[in-house]
Amino acid sequence: MKYPNHFLDTNKTLYAFVFVIAIFSIIPLFSIIINSTTLNYSYIESSGLFEFFKNSLIILFWVIILTSFFGVFSAYLITFYNFPGVSFFRYALILSFAIPPYIFGYSLSAFFENYGIGYSFFTNFFKLDDANSFLPNLTPITNCILSLSFTLYGYIYLLSKTSFLNQSGNLVDLGKSLGFNSFKKFTNIIIPSARPAIFIGISLVSMETLADFGTVSYFGVSTFTTEIYNSWFIFDDLKTSNFLSLFLLIFVLIFFIIEKISRKNSKFHKLKNDSKNKRLQLNGFSALAAFLFCFSLFFISFIFPFSQMIFWSYKFPEYYKNLNLIRLNLNTFTLILFTSFFIIIFSFIVNFGNRALKSKFLNLISTLSISGYAIPGIIISVSIISFISLMSNLFDVNLKSIFIGTFYGLIIGYFFRFYSISYNSIKSDYLKINYSIDESAYLLGFNKFKTFSEIHWPIMKKNTFFIFVLISIEITKELPITLILRPFNFDTFSTKAYHFASQDLIEAASIPSMFLIFWASILILISFKSFFDDEK
Amino acid sequence: MPQLVFLIILLSFQNIFTKEINLFTTRHYDSDLQLYEDFTKETGIKVNVISGKSKPLEKRIIEEGKSCIGDLFFLADAGRLVSAEKKGLFIKIKSQSIEQKVPENFRSPYWVGITKRARIIYYNPKETKLDEIKNLSYEDLSSIKFKNSIAIRQSNNVYNQSLVASLIENNGIDFTKQWLKKFVKNFSRNPTGNDRAQILSVAAGESKFAIANTYYYALMASGKKGEDQKKASKKVKPLFPNQLDRGTHMNISGIGILKHSPNKANTKKFIEFLLTPKAQKHIVNNTYEYPMIETVTPSKLIQKMGNNFKQDNSSKVSTYGKWQKEAFKLMRKAGWN
Repeated sequence: MKYPNHFLDTNKTLYAFVFVIAIFSIIPLFSIIINSTTLNYSYIESSGLFEFFKNSLIILFWVIILTSFFGVFSAYLITFYNFPGVSFFRYALILSFAIPPYIFGYSLSAFFENYGIGYSFFTNFFKLDDANSFLPNLTPITNCILSLSFTLYGYIYLLSKTSFLNQSGNLVDLGKSLGFNSFKKFTNIIIPSARPAIFIGISLVSMETLADFGTVSYFGVSTFTTEIYNSWFIFDDLKTSNFLSLFLLIFVLIFFIIEKISRKNSKFHKLKNDSKNKRLQLNGFSALAAFLFCFSLFFISFIFPFSQMIFWSYKFPEYYKNLNLIRLNLNTFTLILFTSFFIIIFSFIVNFGNRALKSKFLNLISTLSISGYAIPGIIISVSIISFISLMSNLFDVNLKSIFIGTFYGLIIGYFFRFYSISYNSIKSDYLKINYSIDESAYLLGFNKFKTFSEIHWPIMKKNTFFIFVLISIEITKELPITLILRPFNFDTFSTKAYHFASQDLIEAASIPSMFLIFWASILILISFKSFFDDEK
Repeated sequence: MPQLVFLIILLSFQNIFTKEINLFTTRHYDSDLQLYEDFTKETGIKVNVISGKSKPLEKRIIEEGKSCIGDLFFLADAGRLVSAEKKGLFIKIKSQSIEQKVPENFRSPYWVGITKRARIIYYNPKETKLDEIKNLSYEDLSSIKFKNSIAIRQSNNVYNQSLVASLIENNGIDFTKQWLKKFVKNFSRNPTGNDRAQILSVAAGESKFAIANTYYYALMASGKKGEDQKKASKKVKPLFPNQLDRGTHMNISGIGILKHSPNKANTKKFIEFLLTPKAQKHIVNNTYEYPMIETVTPSKLIQKMGNNFKQDNSSKVSTYGKWQKEAFKLMRKAGWN
């Protein structure tokens, strides 16, 4: 097709824009590659010869098993059966997204520790004499597995639920006519056809699990991420940290590739919902069992941590007086607004550019931006600091005072971390818009901007709000980047919670944690519908 | 656009125009912030604070170089102070009044200790009679008679690294290596939880002994962790080791002046303020640490644990920094997770 001349000019500008943004988004990746050139073997030897590798794998294995079980089974019950509370649980189970794994960890250990909340509960209400020996002593690894599983199963729940709903009712009918019982129907028909969606969920869970630092370090389990810290904190060996980060990244990329492949396959499994799913009514014992399963899941993943936070905030009101709640809310709010604004705008530019320019090179570097999500936050902050300082020295301008320890620096940090969420969501939205529409628009004389503003934007508008919500939830929960890059006298709910937890005052940490969970829940609540958008 | 750039620059430099100091700290106490407000009231100098983890802050200060507006770096472990000193973050502190107040082993030319922490042993008096362990030392804890009885947190904890570093300094590497092998066999459980969790393990009867810093015990006894933890603290007694030789292992929180500090004149005032009886009193009553200056007594809860015990005043705390890495390697090799 022959385009008019002005198209070529816009193409150049667009190319330049996309190139700069895409390159910018993978600075952390560059940084860890450049900085991991040498490896200090004496460190690796002393660190218990890959003991940490084993622990990471054990945690990953059990988290995958548990989240798959929680997620798939609850989605199955909620999609195919009617039982008391089903429409409540359908939404309520997503609230687990509001709890960061490390805060779940705080509540878990405070409950089960000797003379902890659990002890007080059982001695005061049940007059048990020796509640300490009655309550299980969970090992650190078990604590990590539980904290991660109960806060991450939501991914698998959501994805498998959507997939179940899109399954042809005929498939289930087929099972019935083959004389399968419910269990056989579940294992032989429903699960296999939802497999791609479940895989996507598992790969997301795995990425989060592998990059988690807050939880594993709180419980003191040596894993990949804690070794990244140890090699730096104890051995002053930032190179090994970078090397391990790179290794972690490769590990995570494997899951990312699995996810990609699963997504490709999943397209073939999305059949039209030709016969409406009739939910089977459960009665008696099976209704009770289904209710109990969903209730326990909701209770443990959300009510258990949240109620402890509320309990402490109520019991230790003195900790309110040191908190400037207005300021904290305002800080969180401004960070959310500014960061998501930039992230979303840039993701649109890059996605639109990739679509219009069809450059394989641009596409590749844009895809690499996923690395931001998989590199531990603390390593991202280090790469920002190094990058800014390198640029300052190279061009002899003082970028440091503008970007290190300032609001702008924080926005850049969040950009690296969360850009891929927005980039990939917009990308998948774009895939749904047929390219022939763009070509028709150009033929009609629309320029690139008009094509975007009058054709793409109206279609994608609604989902953009959902992306905003997703980024906001992540920013509200973010800890390591904020901790290092923030300006003087600047706090968010997560830094405050961390600050108190470091003083061994979980009681005081509960107030900022409660607010954090509250805001994240509100964000989830206002976008409830979007979570189930695919169902329609 | 030019206006925006100007605004950005203005916002970034706004701090220069007022009388203030900028403090990086790894101490997370709210009571510290109240203390800094007192300093502002007295001197009119505002204290701006960033708290965080030591190494990332260290990295930030190094990379920011001359444009770093930080004036002081407050760190909660002697080894971490040495690390910052070695990287050339600090300038020498020359002040006679500071030198007079702070004993030599708790400072270097580049940093000065502000508070002290003691890492001690806890036991359950119902299980163990005081006579059996009266003159116990850290070195004795490797004895076979303590098999499966000691609770201590993990090897990646910096206070444990400093404790083992002090053993290396006093007894040599070979001795410490052998000691660690036997000591790890005496663990009652796989190390987990913070210092308070170790004390609670003794209170609950799971472990015979725990090793933990004193302020964790005081925190329980203060009731700030609830009634049940206060009761639990009463089931446990503290024991100060090495009273017949060098004294109990002491660590410090200390502060240094950053090399590129833009407000140097105010920094010394601040350090001197932290070492006044009033400030020291405020710190020890809130954080339950030990005071650095002699004229101030520890908080009542800490005094109850034992007054007039012998502190290790012979080991220079700067040697902890020297041996921490070696300590960690040996701890890991001995199977201390």
